[in-house]
Amino acid sequence: MARPIVIGLEVHLQLNTKTKLFCSCSTDYIGRTPNTNVCPICLAVPGTLPLLNDSAVALASRMGIGLRCKIQNYSTFGRKNYFYADLAKAYQITQYELPVATGGYLEIEVNGETKVVRLHHLHLEEDAGKLVHPTTDGRLTGAAYSLVDYNRGGVPLTEVVSEPDMSSPAEAKEYVSRLRQLARYLDVSDGEMESGSLRVDANISLSKPDGSLGTRVEIKNMNSFKSIERALEYEISRQNKVLDSGGRIVQETRLWDDAEGVTRSMRNKETASDYRYYPEMDLAPVVIDDSEIEDFRRRMPELPWEKRERFAAFGLTKEEISILTEQRELARYYEDVVSAGAPPARAANWVRMEVLRVLNELGIDITGFKVKPGALAELVKKVEAKELSNTLGKEILDVLAREDISLADAVKRSGASAGRLTGASLDEIIKKIVSANPDVVETIKNGEDKKGGKIKFLQGLVMKEARGQADPKEAAESLAKNLDL
Amino acid sequence: MELYELSAKETAEGVKSKKFSAEDATRACLDRIDKFDAKVNALITLTAEDAIAKARAVDEKISKGEETGPLAGVPYLAKDNFCTSGVRTTCSSKILEAWVPTYNASAINYMNDSGAVLLGKTNLDEFAMGSSTENSIIGPTKNPRDMNRVPGGSSGGSAASVAAGYAPLALGTDTGGSVRQPAAFCGVQGMKPSYGQVSRYGIIAYASSLDQVSPLARTVEDIAVVMESLARPDSHDTTCDAYDRPKFTDAISLEDLKGKRIGVFEGFESSQMDAELYGSLRKAAELCEASGATVEPMDLPIAVKYGVATYYVTALADASSKLACYDGMRYGAHIDGKSLNEMYVNTRTASFGEEVRRRIILGTCLLTEGFYQNYYGPALKVRQKMVDEFDELFEKFDAYILPTSPSLPYLLGMKETDPNRLYLGDIFTVPISLGGLPGISLSMGLNGEGLPLSVQLVGQRYFDAELLGIAAVLERAIGRPAVANPGLPGTSNSGKGAA
Repeated sequence: MARPIVIGLEVHLQLNTKTKLFCSCSTDYIGRTPNTNVCPICLAVPGTLPLLNDSAVALASRMGIGLRCKIQNYSTFGRKNYFYADLAKAYQITQYELPVATGGYLEIEVNGETKVVRLHHLHLEEDAGKLVHPTTDGRLTGAAYSLVDYNRGGVPLTEVVSEPDMSSPAEAKEYVSRLRQLARYLDVSDGEMESGSLRVDANISLSKPDGSLGTRVEIKNMNSFKSIERALEYEISRQNKVLDSGGRIVQETRLWDDAEGVTRSMRNKETASDYRYYPEMDLAPVVIDDSEIEDFRRRMPELPWEKRERFAAFGLTKEEISILTEQRELARYYEDVVSAGAPPARAANWVRMEVLRVLNELGIDITGFKVKPGALAELVKKVEAKELSNTLGKEILDVLAREDISLADAVKRSGASAGRLTGASLDEIIKKIVSANPDVVETIKNGEDKKGGKIKFLQGLVMKEARGQADPKEAAESLAKNLDL
Repeated sequence: MELYELSAKETAEGVKSKKFSAEDATRACLDRIDKFDAKVNALITLTAEDAIAKARAVDEKISKGEETGPLAGVPYLAKDNFCTSGVRTTCSSKILEAWVPTYNASAINYMNDSGAVLLGKTNLDEFAMGSSTENSIIGPTKNPRDMNRVPGGSSGGSAASVAAGYAPLALGTDTGGSVRQPAAFCGVQGMKPSYGQVSRYGIIAYASSLDQVSPLARTVEDIAVVMESLARPDSHDTTCDAYDRPKFTDAISLEDLKGKRIGVFEGFESSQMDAELYGSLRKAAELCEASGATVEPMDLPIAVKYGVATYYVTALADASSKLACYDGMRYGAHIDGKSLNEMYVNTRTASFGEEVRRRIILGTCLLTEGFYQNYYGPALKVRQKMVDEFDELFEKFDAYILPTSPSLPYLLGMKETDPNRLYLGDIFTVPISLGGLPGISLSMGLNGEGLPLSVQLVGQRYFDAELLGIAAVLERAIGRPAVANPGLPGTSNSGKGAA
């Protein structure tokens, strides 16, 4: 019998503040010359004291509210002591005993089933600097020396700690997706895993036959959504193999090696650091009174699940809702298209199928999309009114997305500017098709087109030549007239 | 009266009224340093040129009729754990021997803004860890009132400087008595304000929850004057209280102690302390009563029994993490090693003195899993009990009188053979620090051998101004301490004070 899987996650999010958690250095450290984004405070120069960045507290509180946590009126910081070159003070200031938010939950949906993942707490802490190893693969092994870059040291993070409520790698991945979506909706973090704005550590164990929890292993260094799933799957199979062969699981921290597709032991319980947690006496406690919490609540933007509910009222399918609400900016774009007059269901189809296709082709996201919601709404309306065929509509969208051109000009250039092809101009096309296909015309006139296939073939050629601008009914009648049928 | 004998207030008044210049006052003090410090060894760094330049700038402002601060032209010294921009700040440690800060401690800025003239940086026990100013890279400072004795510590250099007339004012830091005890040993006035009164920004930390910038002077009035410059909200220190402080100089105009309720500490066996200091306590009680106060005996059973243990657990745990930043990476001494760990070990072993290493190791142990639950956790609880004990007593009293130290200044080198003395010596000062209370070591004159006598006045937290008022009344009855002439026979005993 398969052993039940128990997974808990610790997710670090880099907060969207302008400055670091305890000093006024910028949080925009990526690409900066090493050790230029630093000051006496984040370099731990003797005599300096940390100063708490209020906006980090506000963002962490906002995330806490989004996760239905209890925001604490009183929270404190502590020192997590360990010597390492990337940690200037030799301790990390983090919230330990009394974090800013406790409890809460996040709903996830896997295989059509909704599951509630409970949260233990959410706390604030500072990031460490970075070590640079001058080896070809950037790893420590084999490096003759290491360089330290403190540019990132002190950047604010919030850590969201879940209860061990997930029971598959897919659930873990979905949980991280929902968490990231929420963080982005709330402007709390950009949630980019590639740049390290979102980091995930997993605790995983396989339960014993009697249902009691097994030994927990911590997995670190999962740098993409894919690697979360792969690392956990690998770890489950590794643990199963160990247990199947009568072995026991060691409580340890393992690093995911993405290239090799394995986890490797980093340190075990015996060699684990004792962080000698200690209250941070250099910082006054964080006091958030109820009116402030109320203020944070009042200023909460619409949450993903609230948006989903609202979109359901548009009559959209579950799948459409899920795609359109995934990214707040895309959802906003869709809503703008609808409020500019496009029918909600048609607009949903266009955004989901065509806009996403074009974005994908161009390799951009919606914020860089040239076609304004108003223009797309007009385009959708024209197609709805049959002023443009679906095909031509899509072609015009492609043009609008790539060139600086107005909708009117794009329509004009497509040949549909004068409106629909009708009367004499349609007649002209028909005459051209008829004279170009004497054999087919002959067959029809001889009454040999019993099934009507030939006449349909000619109708198709006319419509193609008319670039879809002719009314099929008028084209058929006009063609019949030209063939004297 | 010589210029160096003037109080800070008298000096500022003289400078402002152009009776003498700031440069005159500064040179008078520099001469004292020149004359005595080769023997007293109170200074680590002398900044004579900067001092003269600053004094001249003050004089120029005065000649132009521009606004100068309340400490215009007043020479002062700062303990060498205050960061001073461009002036090396050693903490008396090899690890910072050559370190030059790029910024000023807030307290230094406030002094500067008030027109005060920094003459130099004073000796201390390495990282303020000690009570005798003997654990120092420059060697021990001597007590100007008896050159065979220690000046107390860790702010011994600052206390000795004020006693020897190097300056009317000095800044120290008090963590568990580091200003009050040297003030008592050197026969000057020293005050540890309530925790949170003065910004700690730019003070090289020993223990964050206890360290407090603390002034030393030869008059209570000067303490009040300098407190007005120092005690203010500071956006660089979130543990520094944000409210406006009362006017300390108004508080010292208190005429008598009518209506004041004073508790006199009697919770010890007289054998535990020096008989003459016990006498000072009784004398202070009598003076209070004579001035109209209601005086009653009081006791601090929890503080006396557990204070020292609680203090050391708290302070050493804090110190072990605050001193971890000296890793040889960014500033200070650096000694290479084959690995990162070896570099840490080499640097820290060779560059911290024995007492500092002992305290770091003890503090590290105290926070280690298992020890934390048995020591640090209980210490936090006991600390709260002590605060409760104080609070309860303050319902009955406006202030208490305690000894500052159970002993008179001891002979140099003595603590080496009797380390327990070092610890017991803190018994009356550390509970006040743990409670965050204001405490003033008040000079009670000299004994027959010319050694300073003292008592400690303790007030309710944030009632620093009121406490200064009581101290001022008592000082008027006792007399203010005179300047000592270190090593010159007969003269150091002259400080009986003119009541």
